[in-house]
Amino acid sequence: MTTTTPPPAPAPTAAGAAGGVASVPLLSVRDLVVRFRTQDGTIYAVNGIDFDLAEGETLGIVGESGCGKSVTNLAIMRLLPKPAGRIERGRILLDGQDLVVLSESEIRAIRGRDVAMIFQDPMTSLNPVLTIEEQMVETIRAHRTTSKEEARARAIELLEMVGIPKPETRLKAFPHQFSGGMRQRVMIAMALALDPRLLIADEPTTALDVTIQAQILEILARLATESGTALILITHDLGVVAGMTKRINVMYAGFVVESATTPELFALPSHPYTIGLLHSIPRLDSDGDEDLIPIEGRPPDQRVEPVGCPFAPRCAWRIDDCWSDNPGLAAIDGRAAVVMTGPAATHRIACFNPPTHDEALAGRPLREGFRPAPPPGTLPEDTGFEGLGSEEALEALEPQGAEHSPLLPRDEALLDAGRDRGQYPGDADRDSHR
Amino acid sequence: MTFETSEPAAPAADQPVVPVAPPPSPSVPATGAAVGRPPTSEVPLVEVEGLVKYYPIMGGFLRRHVGDVKAVDGVSFWVNRGEVLGLVGESGCGKSTLGKTLIQLTPPTAGLAKLDGEPIFGKKGKDLKKLRRRMQIIFQDPVGSLNPRMPISDIIGEGLLAQADAENRWGDRKVRDKRVGDYLDAVGLRRDYTRRYPHEFSGGQRQRIGIARALALSPDFLICDEPVSALDVSIQSQILNLLLDLRREFDLTYLFIAHNLSVVQYISDRVGVMYLGKLVELAEVEELYRRPRHPYSVALLSAVPDANPRVRKKRLVLTGDVPSPAAPPSGCHFHTRCWLYEQLGQPEVCTTADPEFRDIGDGHLVACHWAEKVPTAVVASAVPTAEVTTDTVAMPAAGIPAAPPIDAGPPTEEATASGT
Repeated sequence: MTTTTPPPAPAPTAAGAAGGVASVPLLSVRDLVVRFRTQDGTIYAVNGIDFDLAEGETLGIVGESGCGKSVTNLAIMRLLPKPAGRIERGRILLDGQDLVVLSESEIRAIRGRDVAMIFQDPMTSLNPVLTIEEQMVETIRAHRTTSKEEARARAIELLEMVGIPKPETRLKAFPHQFSGGMRQRVMIAMALALDPRLLIADEPTTALDVTIQAQILEILARLATESGTALILITHDLGVVAGMTKRINVMYAGFVVESATTPELFALPSHPYTIGLLHSIPRLDSDGDEDLIPIEGRPPDQRVEPVGCPFAPRCAWRIDDCWSDNPGLAAIDGRAAVVMTGPAATHRIACFNPPTHDEALAGRPLREGFRPAPPPGTLPEDTGFEGLGSEEALEALEPQGAEHSPLLPRDEALLDAGRDRGQYPGDADRDSHR
Repeated sequence: MTFETSEPAAPAADQPVVPVAPPPSPSVPATGAAVGRPPTSEVPLVEVEGLVKYYPIMGGFLRRHVGDVKAVDGVSFWVNRGEVLGLVGESGCGKSTLGKTLIQLTPPTAGLAKLDGEPIFGKKGKDLKKLRRRMQIIFQDPVGSLNPRMPISDIIGEGLLAQADAENRWGDRKVRDKRVGDYLDAVGLRRDYTRRYPHEFSGGQRQRIGIARALALSPDFLICDEPVSALDVSIQSQILNLLLDLRREFDLTYLFIAHNLSVVQYISDRVGVMYLGKLVELAEVEELYRRPRHPYSVALLSAVPDANPRVRKKRLVLTGDVPSPAAPPSGCHFHTRCWLYEQLGQPEVCTTADPEFRDIGDGHLVACHWAEKVPTAVVASAVPTAEVTTDTVAMPAAGIPAAPPIDAGPPTEEATASGT
């Protein structure tokens, strides 16, 4: 299904000592399946995902609530809520060492030292009855044999690094005496205390104001570069990952539906869901005349075992196969047309009927007479796709993605052809939301 | 429900409407209309003058009044009929308090507001009830704002029942249920959902119920307090488009309060920026997002991460946090974090004088002593622009130009001509 072969896990080395291995990625997740068993039944949270992360690389994981992005990372940290959450299948290899099979005490040694995590809400992740000093010194001394004084000096150094003024005095403060932005800085300082090789930031700026968010993102980017720490940035905000990461995985309903380098993803979004997302967010760089094209419907009920493509019910490009089979992630070229293989394939999507580049810009299918396949067992007339783009949106969006793409030469003729093509039937219904 | 008239200029609310100078900023001249409003014949639907809302801080011995949280500190603006006025600002800037005060969920400390030329504040009983029918609010939290023990028909019908009279016959269950169904239909929900309870709906659907509840009374003016910030991106765009459609369908006027700058840009005709209880800038949406003139607006726009890696913005990272509204800085509230203040060598006037909210031309209002000194180049590099799109279609190699076309005229002249 996937083109990358899982790296064999040869003789698990002690994670800290295996720094020099070049061919093995720092982290590699293979066929990860996470389910929650609750009173309401099984929740299919993560349904078999694969990805690799190289040493020092930055990876963004984007998706809406319930898409499994946070669960994936809780699974990596082995912090899934017990007993409901379980890793049903798959491997999580950190330096070739499978984290899934480790015992509780073994994983505890890795947490913080090799893998650290920053959460969305810094208030609930800090202990309210301990001073910052007590918490930081405790963290450092839990993993390293240092004196209290040395640990304290390290804490001061870290707080300075994240830009907290007068760290010596602020160490004595309690979490509630810090503002939200300052608390998030403390969290970053604590996460970096042991020079982890992988830092997972789960919505680190979602609870913060824009101006504070800018400060925190700047610190994260600077520290990750300086220390060579690999970073996984989980967010729902495509804007945050655009400026921060090298590669992006787009997740939907527990599947990775598109994986690409950041420039590729924004220049040539190829999965219908990614395209839908990009057309759903108002953009500051738009001239304000473009209409948003919402993704109709809502995410699937995760208590039902997924059959077929999870996005099919909301997809404008669906064909009959989408209802019954799940398309695996496959490498594509920039036009989403030819399937490529090999290590050069950086752009992969899970789609049977990939939108063309013009359609991606328009946000809707442009093919003559194409109608999304109806659910099995209904007549074709029953479904009409609503929520289509206007001609202006098509025109205004073109230069953003295609013109500046360094990846592919532009095909003017193709674009013009797409522009001249008639409106998709049902376009008149655009305004009707019911 | 009266309010303290400790501020010198606040008149009793039942007096004939006399425009007054907003009390807290003495530098504003007592002109005939709200600050900067172009003298048109049409009366704006909503006019707000010098609105002040302080929350008292009680403390010390005998719980005396020891200070005030100055949530809204002298705000004046107007909303034209059929317009969407966006209001942006960071948390704690007073934008939500402003909305709540306007709709009388909390009494104002001082100030004047008019709906259709009729004063809003200080009304009681029947008059207040009549007014409430014309102004409605949509809240942020689609879970907390719907009573979990009420079916949808009662949630939407409650307002109708309260406003029932012989003319509209909303007291009659059948009439009421028909109207509830009509409005469920209007917001894109099925009519037969009326007997369901809020927990049976998703977040986006709950927000639609909140909108239906607000619309059922056929208001003229709708305050939307962060209506989409609790929703996922794909649902958010559905609700935004719905709000725009409903505005057309029901001739609505919105005050759209949100912290998300791009959402506000999408939906608004004019936008106001708030900082620490004050409006610092107010202009047409295009003007504000392309040519911001307050250093805070410039920094705010530059801080928004753009979902386009090709947009190269120079972030103006503001240092520090927003000061406490209980003890705002002297002079211009923003000077403690202002990059322009530093650039100009910390001029004294910023720390001593409260800047006037003045018109720098074409109804673009700014509260900054040095609005004309905001460097065009800084604005150009901080604000992402799409003004280049038409040119770059023909020139693939151009990329995003570093300096987009910006109103090039020397700002000082323009301001002296129209600023006073």
